[in-house]
Amino acid sequence: MKEQSNIPTGKVERAGKFVTTGLKVGTNYIKHYTRKLMDPSISKESLHQDNAADIYNTLSNLKGSALKVAQMLSMDKGMLPKAYAEKFAMSQYSAPPLSGPLVVNTFLKTLGKSPAQLFDKFDMHASNAASIGQVHRAEKNGKQLAVKIQYPGVASSVKSDLRIVKPFAMRIVGMNEVDMDKYFEEIETKLLEETDYQLELRRSMDLSAACAHIPGLLFPGYYPEYSSERIITMDWLNGLHLKEFLQTKPSQEIRNKVGQALWDFYQFQVHKLRQVHADPHPGNFLMQPDGRVGIFDFGCVKVIPEDFYENYFLLVDKEVLKDTARRHQIYINLEMLHPSDTPKEVAFFSELFQHMIDLMTLPFTQETFDFGNESYFNEVYAYMDELYNMKEIRESKVARGSSHSLYINRTYFGLYSILSDLQANIITGQHRIQQLVDGRQPE
Amino acid sequence: MDKQQIRNAYKMYLLENGKEPVSVYMLCKTIDMPESEFYGFYSSLEAVERDIWLAVFEETLQQLQADETYPQYNAQEKLLSFYFLWVSRLREDRSYFLLQRDIFTVPLIYRNKLSAFKTAFYDYISALIKEGYASTEIKERKYISDQYVHGFWVQALFVLKYWLDDTSDNFELTDAAIEKAVNLSFQLIGSNTLDSLLDFGKFIFMKK
Repeated sequence: MKEQSNIPTGKVERAGKFVTTGLKVGTNYIKHYTRKLMDPSISKESLHQDNAADIYNTLSNLKGSALKVAQMLSMDKGMLPKAYAEKFAMSQYSAPPLSGPLVVNTFLKTLGKSPAQLFDKFDMHASNAASIGQVHRAEKNGKQLAVKIQYPGVASSVKSDLRIVKPFAMRIVGMNEVDMDKYFEEIETKLLEETDYQLELRRSMDLSAACAHIPGLLFPGYYPEYSSERIITMDWLNGLHLKEFLQTKPSQEIRNKVGQALWDFYQFQVHKLRQVHADPHPGNFLMQPDGRVGIFDFGCVKVIPEDFYENYFLLVDKEVLKDTARRHQIYINLEMLHPSDTPKEVAFFSELFQHMIDLMTLPFTQETFDFGNESYFNEVYAYMDELYNMKEIRESKVARGSSHSLYINRTYFGLYSILSDLQANIITGQHRIQQLVDGRQPE
Repeated sequence: MDKQQIRNAYKMYLLENGKEPVSVYMLCKTIDMPESEFYGFYSSLEAVERDIWLAVFEETLQQLQADETYPQYNAQEKLLSFYFLWVSRLREDRSYFLLQRDIFTVPLIYRNKLSAFKTAFYDYISALIKEGYASTEIKERKYISDQYVHGFWVQALFVLKYWLDDTSDNFELTDAAIEKAVNLSFQLIGSNTLDSLLDFGKFIFMKK
């Protein structure tokens, strides 16, 4: 891996980076239209690809929270043109690492000892990069360990970063500023939480313990004595990331097993623990050849408020949805409709939401669901595209959807897209979820 | 009595009184030392101040050289670990060094408090640069490479200033500043960017 030679420092420099990107994106448009003049058959796909490459390069140079935003955006494949999504997905795997002396310095500062003193073996070269830190391999008493180290000053740059990213994100996602504010606040809180490694360590240990009984999952052990506000030490997990895992051509049975384990993991968290590992990007899971899944990185955990939970999951209930008045009330509770909406708007949006919910909750309403069913995902993406291009939605001045739904939706999107990549055919019925919640072993 | 005790007494005096002792006599009084003995170690109070800066630097170097991993580092990593350690050494006496902030406001010619440290730093950096040549991390350039040392001195002052002004928890931002400053400097003197820039400059000013 190539070590990153420099990171833009101050706000001005970071902003400068974005300006350069803006210019490049502008040039890409000019190139596109010139090419189009000469060859009218050219599609926008190549333009999107150029833009995505430039935007990605900028974001990965900025590291930290900007990269996080890239990750968030890449989760919502449907919301972005395909090329953006592909390029952004790269950020889910690796960003360039930082120097050895800084790693040593972080140890000395927060644990009082150098890695050489703490561990029997410590690899100075990062084995992979997390978006706000990097992971090193270590050994202690014959045990393989993974040591995650955070870059200095991340927390303090989160706020200023987001302020810079905001206009940029607005352009990409196509939202107006009022809409963005509500969500940005939620993202900011979550990002700041993610920089708190002590909180992450606590949550990792709690959630791993709470989910340990679910079949097919594998959690690393954590070592609080080798962890600090900028370091987390856990067992080293072997396994493959989703893409590489799929390249090994696992059998349908194994893929189903992986999919089922992930599905159970999420349903149990949402319905029983009411807090959920809200970062289901493929970099956070390591697939084992036998179909078990290693899960780590509980940096981003969404705690689900009670009233939000009730309203949100009432939408899965077919009976409730038949009652129009009740349905509207739920929409209002979830801030998808506003009391100030005109009857025309109410009718328009309820119909949209109805269709979207029918689509998204389809797996819940069936006993088993085949996520390899491409026509289902094509329908979802097509509908998202349609929504995205709808004049009424783009021009809507009010934000629709509670800020809580941001991370919950993202979680489900992430889960669905992993399941879809796995083409897993799994048991999705309420019965199994109920068994999990009751603490019984599902059949 | 040794030099270190005198240095400590000097720091203590400054910290407790908020200003330098007005005379050697005043300083000696705090540690019950006859003034004549003082001159066996230092010639003046300024010499003590100079030596305080130098001592931090030398202790840092000693600690680095005692470290197992340090010799395995390349020049860039060596400089990084030097700064990290230097700053953590300075930290032990932060209050004292905060009172020394005026080194950045007085005119250059009066900055002799740092002179001994500066000479030692230049020696250290020169050796490091030579190492960089050998490992091809740093590119040797006629006339210009002689100036690198001055650049690194400015960098050291920047790190010092940044750390003195840093208000972040655990001086995290200083860590980040060091990392970025060193990376940038090595990229500049290592890659071809500088050469292309010079080449272009020469071309522009070339007589037609």
